[in-house]
This record gives sequence, C-alpha cells and structure tokens, in this order.
Amino acid sequence: MPAMVNALLEWASSDAGKMIAGLVGVLAFVVVNALLLTWAERKIAGHMQRRIGPKEVGPFGLIQPIADALKLLGKEILTPARADKPLYYLAPTLIFVPVLVSFIVIPFDATLQVTDINVGILVILAFSSISILSILMAGWGSENKYSLIGAIRSIAQNIAYEIPLLLSLLPVIMLANSFSLKEIVEKQEGLWFVVVQPVAFVIYFIAAVAETNRTPFDLPEAESELVAGYHTEYSGMRFALFFLAEYTNMFIVSAIATTFFLGGYQGPVLPGILWFLLKSYALVFVIIWLRWTYPRVRFDQLLNVAWKGLIPLAFLNLLVTGGLLKL
Amino acid sequence: MLDLARANSLWPVTFGLACCAIEMMAAAMARFDLDRFGAGVFRASPRQADLMIVTGTVTKKMAPVLTTLYEQMPSPKWVIAMGNCAISGGPFVFEGQYNLVEGVDLLIPVDVYVPGCPPRPEALLEGFLKLEEKITGSRRFPRVESVW
Amino acid sequence: MIEEIKARLPGDGLIEVPFPQKGYHYALETGADKLPDLAALFDEKRFYLECLLCTDYGEYLELVYFFNKHLAPSRVKVTLKLDPAHPVAPSISAVYGSASWYEREIHEFYGVLFSGHPNMAYLFLHSGIDHYPLRKDRVPVPPEDLARLDSFNPCEQEDSFFINLGPQHPSTHGVLRVVLKMDGEYIEQAEPVLGYLHRMHEKMAENRTYQQFLPNTGRMDYLGAMSFNLGHVLAVERLCSIPVPERAQSVRIIATELNRISSHLLWLGAYLADLGALTPFLYVFDDREQILDVLEGVTGSRLTYCYFRFGGLYNDVDDPFIEGTKAFVKRMWSRFSLYEKLVTGNVIFRNRTRGIGTITQEQARKFGVAGPVLRSAGIASDMRKEEPYSGYDALDFTVPVGGRGDALDTYVVRLTEMENSLRIIEQALARLPGGPYMAEKVPKKLKPPPGDLYHVVETPRGELGIYIVSDESDRPLRMKWRVPSFSNLMVFPELSRGTLLADAVAILGSLDLVIPEIDR
Repeated sequence: MPAMVNALLEWASSDAGKMIAGLVGVLAFVVVNALLLTWAERKIAGHMQRRIGPKEVGPFGLIQPIADALKLLGKEILTPARADKPLYYLAPTLIFVPVLVSFIVIPFDATLQVTDINVGILVILAFSSISILSILMAGWGSENKYSLIGAIRSIAQNIAYEIPLLLSLLPVIMLANSFSLKEIVEKQEGLWFVVVQPVAFVIYFIAAVAETNRTPFDLPEAESELVAGYHTEYSGMRFALFFLAEYTNMFIVSAIATTFFLGGYQGPVLPGILWFLLKSYALVFVIIWLRWTYPRVRFDQLLNVAWKGLIPLAFLNLLVTGGLLKL
Repeated sequence: MLDLARANSLWPVTFGLACCAIEMMAAAMARFDLDRFGAGVFRASPRQADLMIVTGTVTKKMAPVLTTLYEQMPSPKWVIAMGNCAISGGPFVFEGQYNLVEGVDLLIPVDVYVPGCPPRPEALLEGFLKLEEKITGSRRFPRVESVW
Repeated sequence: MIEEIKARLPGDGLIEVPFPQKGYHYALETGADKLPDLAALFDEKRFYLECLLCTDYGEYLELVYFFNKHLAPSRVKVTLKLDPAHPVAPSISAVYGSASWYEREIHEFYGVLFSGHPNMAYLFLHSGIDHYPLRKDRVPVPPEDLARLDSFNPCEQEDSFFINLGPQHPSTHGVLRVVLKMDGEYIEQAEPVLGYLHRMHEKMAENRTYQQFLPNTGRMDYLGAMSFNLGHVLAVERLCSIPVPERAQSVRIIATELNRISSHLLWLGAYLADLGALTPFLYVFDDREQILDVLEGVTGSRLTYCYFRFGGLYNDVDDPFIEGTKAFVKRMWSRFSLYEKLVTGNVIFRNRTRGIGTITQEQARKFGVAGPVLRSAGIASDMRKEEPYSGYDALDFTVPVGGRGDALDTYVVRLTEMENSLRIIEQALARLPGGPYMAEKVPKKLKPPPGDLYHVVETPRGELGIYIVSDESDRPLRMKWRVPSFSNLMVFPELSRGTLLADAVAILGSLDLVIPEIDR
C-alpha cells in the first residue's frame, strides 16, 4: 500500500502529474467561477434595479446557481428535427476549447500556472478565434433563421474587434519584450502598465467586452429582436454550456487585462493569488455593471466604432509607443 | 432533491398576451420581486424555459401559436393560467362569440389557476408558491388565513 | 376653405350640422361614382381621413367616412349607402393610405367589396370563420370571397427570406406579428398581421347596454384605461345631454392625467428594454407603483379602471387621494433629472434613435397618424386643445412639438407631455371645487335619442374617436372605436422599408402601440 502511494506521489510531482493536477484545478475553477458569476450577476442586477435579487434559495441566495444547474441537468434534451446533427451537437462542446486552453497559460500566482509557454498570449489569441467557429456552428446547425442572423452578426462583430484587441496588447508586449505572460507580469514590478498605456487599456477593455458578446455589444443574442440569437434552439445542459462559456470568457478577458495592465498577481502584504483574483473580479464587476446600464449598440454603429474608431486609435498608440521606445 | 432544484429555479417564458401581462411584469419588478424565488430570469426562447404563464385572452387565431410554444418547451414544464380570460374566457364570453377559446385548459394542461381581472401581483406570487408546493410537496411560507 | 368645397360640390349636398349634438360639423351624402373625386378633393384641401366605418341598418349598409383637418377642425361626415345583398364600393386607398386597412377591416366584418383595393386578405379574423361577424343577420362568406380573404401566404424567394417578428415577443408589444421580408439585415417589406387579440368589443357593444359596456372600455387599452373610460362616458353623456358637476370634471381630469403619466412611463421603460437597457424598466415601474397606489385607493383597481359613471364618478375622492397625488407630483418632478441623465444624455441611446423612423408631415396626414407621433412630426394637434372636453379649456398647458419626426423626437415629446400632465394635475388640484360628484336624476336605463354622434378624446397614444349610432333602445346599434394605435401602425411598413432589423424594432417601439386596442 505505501509503495503505491509513494509511486503516486512521485508521479504527481513529475511534469505530467503537475499538468494533470493543473488541468483538474482549472476545471474546478471554471465551474466554481461560473456558479459564482451567475449568482453575482443576478444579485448585482437586483441591487442596481432597487430590488434584492435571489434571496430565498439559501442564505443570500447563494444556492441559487446550484439549483439552476441541477434544474438544467434534469431537463429533457430536445433536438430540433431538421437540425444539422454534427454541427448542432459539436457547437456547445467546441466553445469550451479556447476557454480551457486560455486558462493553461494564465499566471494566477508566481508559482501557480499550469505551464508557462513562451508565446503565451499568442496561444490565447489564436484559440479565441475558435469560439467564433462554434458560434457559427450553433447558428447554422440550428436551422433557425434567428440563430443564423445571430451567428452572422457575431462573426462580423468578433472579426472586427479581434484587431483592436491584438493591437492594444502589442504595446505592452513591446514594453515587456516578451510574449510570455509570466514575464509580462514580472516586468510590472515597480510600475503597472496601465499607467504607461492608458489608451491601450481602454481599447482593450472595450474590445474585450465586444468579444464576450456582452451588452452593449450583445447583438448576437439580442433578446428583444432575435428571441435568443444563436442559442435559441438549445435547451437543458447544452444551453448551460453556452452560458458557462460566456461567464468563463468574461473572467478570462478580465484576467488577461489584469495580467497585461494591472500587474497580475503583484501586490503588497496579501498573497499573489488573492491580488490576482481581486483585480480580475473588479473588472468582471465593471463588465456586469455595463450590462445593466447601457442600451444595445446597433449593428452598423458597432462596426463603425471598431473600424473607424478603435483600430486607428490603436495603430496610433502602437506607433507612438514604438517611437518612444526607440528613442 | 431534483424537485427542490426545479421549484427554486423556475424560468418563465415571456408570453404576455393582454392586460394581465402588465401585472406579470409588475410582479417581476422592484416592488414585488419575483427574482427572490429564483424565477427572475425570463427567457425569450421557449427551449430554455420551464414555466409558461398564460396571461391574457386566448383567441382562436392565437391558439395554434400557443400550442406550438408549449410543445417547444422541454419537459418538465408547468403552466400557470393567470387571469380570468386564461381560466375560462373571462369577461369576453357572450352569446354569439366567434373568436374566443374559453379557457386555456382547452388547449394545454394547466397546473395553477390564478383568478382576477387582472390579478394583483401578490396573487401571482401566491400562484408561484402554490406551484412550488405542487412540485415539492411543501410550502415555503405558511398560508395566510383570512383576517376579516 | 369649406366654402370652396361647397362650391365644388353639386347642389347643396353639404349640410351644416349642430356640432355640440353631433360631434361633426358637416354631413354629406354621396354615391359610389362620386366618392373617388370627393376623396381627391379632400386630399387637395389637406384633409385627413379620420375614420372609415360601416353600419348595418338592416335594409341597407352605410359606409361613413370622417374627414377632418389638423389645427382647423371642420369634421365632414360623408355617407354612402350600399345594398346589403351586393355591397360594392370604390376604394380610396390610392389617395389615402389609411383607407387601405380600414377597407380590409370592413370587408372581413361586413362583406363589402372595395373595387380597386390592392390586397383584400384577412386582417383581423382567422381563416376558420365562415360568416361576416358584424352583420346583424348571419351572412355566410361565399367561396370566392373566402379565397380572396385567405390569400396571405408569404413564400420564400431567391435572395430574400421571411422572418416573423412575433406574435410571441420578448418585449411588451403584445401579440403583434410582423412578417418581414429581409435581404440580409435589411428589411425590404414589412406586413403586420393583426387579430391575435381580437376580443370582439364592437360586437359586444351591440349586445350590451351602455352601462354594461363600461368594463370593456378599460380592457381595450389597458395602459390608458381612464381615457377610454372617459371617452365612452363623455360620448354617452353628450348623446343623452346629461350634465356633469364641476367636481366630477376636475377629478376626471386628475385621474386621466395620472393615467397618462403612468402610460408614458411604461412606454419609456418598454422602449428602453427593446433597445437593450433593462434597468430603466424597473425604475419606471417603481414610479408607476406610486400612481397605482393612489388610484387604487379611490377606484379599486390597479390597471383596468372603470371609475367614471354617466353623470359623474363611481365614488368621491378623499383626503388620502389628494395627499397622495400631491406627494407623487412632488416626487415626480425630481425624477425627471434622473431620466435625463440616464437616458436622454446617453450617447448610445441617441445614436439608436436620432434619424430613425422619420415621419414627414405629408405621411402623417395621409395615414391619419395621431398622438405624440403626429406631434413629433411638427403638427401641434392635441384634441384637448382643439375640441376641449371635461373642463380642459380652463387649464393652461402647452402642446409639445418635435422638429424632425424621428424616434428621438417622440421620446422628447412624451417626456414633455409628462411634465405638462404634472402641471395640469397641479392646476386641477388647486381649483378642485366642492359639491356633488354625481349628477342627479340619471336614468337607470339609459335610452338615448335616435341619431349618431362622433366624440373625440386624447388618450396617451393619440386621438380616440367614438362613433355611436343609437336607435332609442338601451343598446347601441353600432359603436365604432377609432383607435390611434391602428393608424400609427399603418405608417410602419413605410417607415421600416430599407432599414435594419434593429431599427425596425426601435421604430415599432417609438410608435407606442397597444395591441388590444388595435384588435379591439
């Protein structure tokens, strides 16, 4: 018996073991994060709207998301008769791939990172494009006009806002001289990059909110126009997966903003991971706040903001940064 | 246990037909908050909802739409008939009427009836509690007996 | 101007009629051959088609056209008698856009064929119906007419597809279905399909006495129930010459203006919810709850009021009502700054509504548009000023006008109207007279003298016209409700052509439609 435990521990401390442990931890975190955010969204919305939000289900409504999850698990699984079966089934599962991959490279703390790839940010940006693919699959495979319109809107929106996203991260990469997320955080030891690059921070934040399809950019799931957009035809657990992906995405973009602009896990007194979570969740709170304050932006105005506003501004910022660095 | 989860997380589908819809909205608003009981998220797509609150008159033109929506909802699903029109035709029943379905239970099975024209938001909340009682078997708040 | 019309008409067809008794100024009887020229004449003189209805008198069917002019009221009633066995009339939908849907409605309810009408499909009724409902005898629909009525079937084409907006809406429009022919994100054509909430009010009016019909009025427009109540009560009082004491008139004004504020507040919340901002919805419901509490204390209901009676009120107002109203007015003045900051100054909101759904004055006239939508186009026509009723002429208030006619203007007009309503309530409260709240000696069984009457009130959505034909019994022979949402919806297909889907939703919201009053 002790020999088996020893062998287990030895394997666990090896690289492969660390990787597996990290992945399990990431999955657990994703689930807990989603539960927390569903609760937080309804509570925050409630308080902004002068009411309380979920209160009866457990103390302060904390068990509400668990009730929601259990209910969604117990729903009948319906498939529309004319749906394109492979696309329809694959879409909710595929939307998770970029999320999980992004979590692998984010440094929660100086030592808590599943693995530090030296082109970390490129991995994240490359995989985030896959989420667009899954939205298109969901929209097309549902054989529903509303889903299709929602998916098409989402593609145009995501393509348009990927560019300012990338362009606003480039100055930071130039300043830190590396693609690896850990090194970027280390370089912010004395001065957070948000002080040096405020314009890039604002552009990144706007582009990130657009990427996650949240109001004011939530045209793909515009409730009053398109019923429910690209996930109209999904019910039960499949719908829950879309929901889960959205909330996890919110956390990831906030985490990237924290890593790039707000110093990551750096901070006095408290342990690094606490600082990291604090900063990330503050940004998540701002995203939730935006949802309940602003109306929706119209589609062509959305694209105008991206192509005529954010991209030139990001380019300008990049040029100025490059010029200053050279001098 | 699953029943408890289902009762505490009923998501209604937005199906406001007539005047009672305004009282349903008022029940979901800040004063008579419905989100307290977990029922705050009104889903637009019937595929993601498990409760249909039929608020208002059902006409013969609307009847096929209503049954289609009901069938699109995945089970387990429940129906609350709110208002006199949904229960039995309401004030629009007269001899020679040609366009009314006298009560939504002629089309779909109903779980809870909430009478009134329109019923107060508190009545709808009571209907919710009754539905939760029907699902789980036990009531959340004790029943208020008449005081006069 | 009316002299010119008299001059152009043969003989002395145009009769002058006592306005206080009848509600219109001139009456004219015409024949089917002269009707299109008459319509063109009225169009040239810039009249608008207020209402088009049909009455079944048994031996003949009578088509009644009401023409009126904005800001210079001179209502002309044009009648056309038809043979009930074979009713055919010329269509004037080429001249007046609003006539198109009125004629469709008359066709499916009475069986009158309008020659020259482009599209005679069912507007309100469902395809299973086999008779003409509003005829007094049960007249079955002949098969060739059934084929004509059942002809609406949108089918797919290359490069464009059809999408349904409704009848189940994730917003508060109610059961309106709009079939949109889309080319990508742009709308080529919009065709509303009505009748999902057709509750047979006009048929019920013929089966009920005047008192028994009172609850129906509240259900027709549940957001502005007081004004519909007021319209009905005033029309019957005018028909039967029942005097109303001053106290009742003042209280009627206060209650109706409170209702107007609550209706506009709900419109504001619903419009913003359509545009995606979900929070102001809750703020407006909060304000509304205060109004509802005040009104509930004196009427007993929160939404579908039935407060006015012929000759006065159901019961008198007491101190809690007056105190509550004063407190509400005080609080509401301070809320406007919140709405200014949250909504009017919001750049996303302004971008979504500026320049969207612009209505020209010519369009407004051709389609008979009413209410804040009309005022936003620049025509300062308000029935409380043009044909004052119930003591409005003693009060001092302005009529807000917009400059451009787009959705932002309708928003500003409605917000200003709320402020005006607060001022009116303050004035009415200040001069609330004592005295009885109900007229004496109102007969229990009301039997109005024979004849017809057209009465107009201003509801939160626009001008409401009530046409009553009485044949001396206690039930009306015909009661027609000319509702503002119906004519406002008529202009929607024009406005939404070539716009984006998101804009169509914004335009639909700015028209402030309440579907039960359209479907009646």
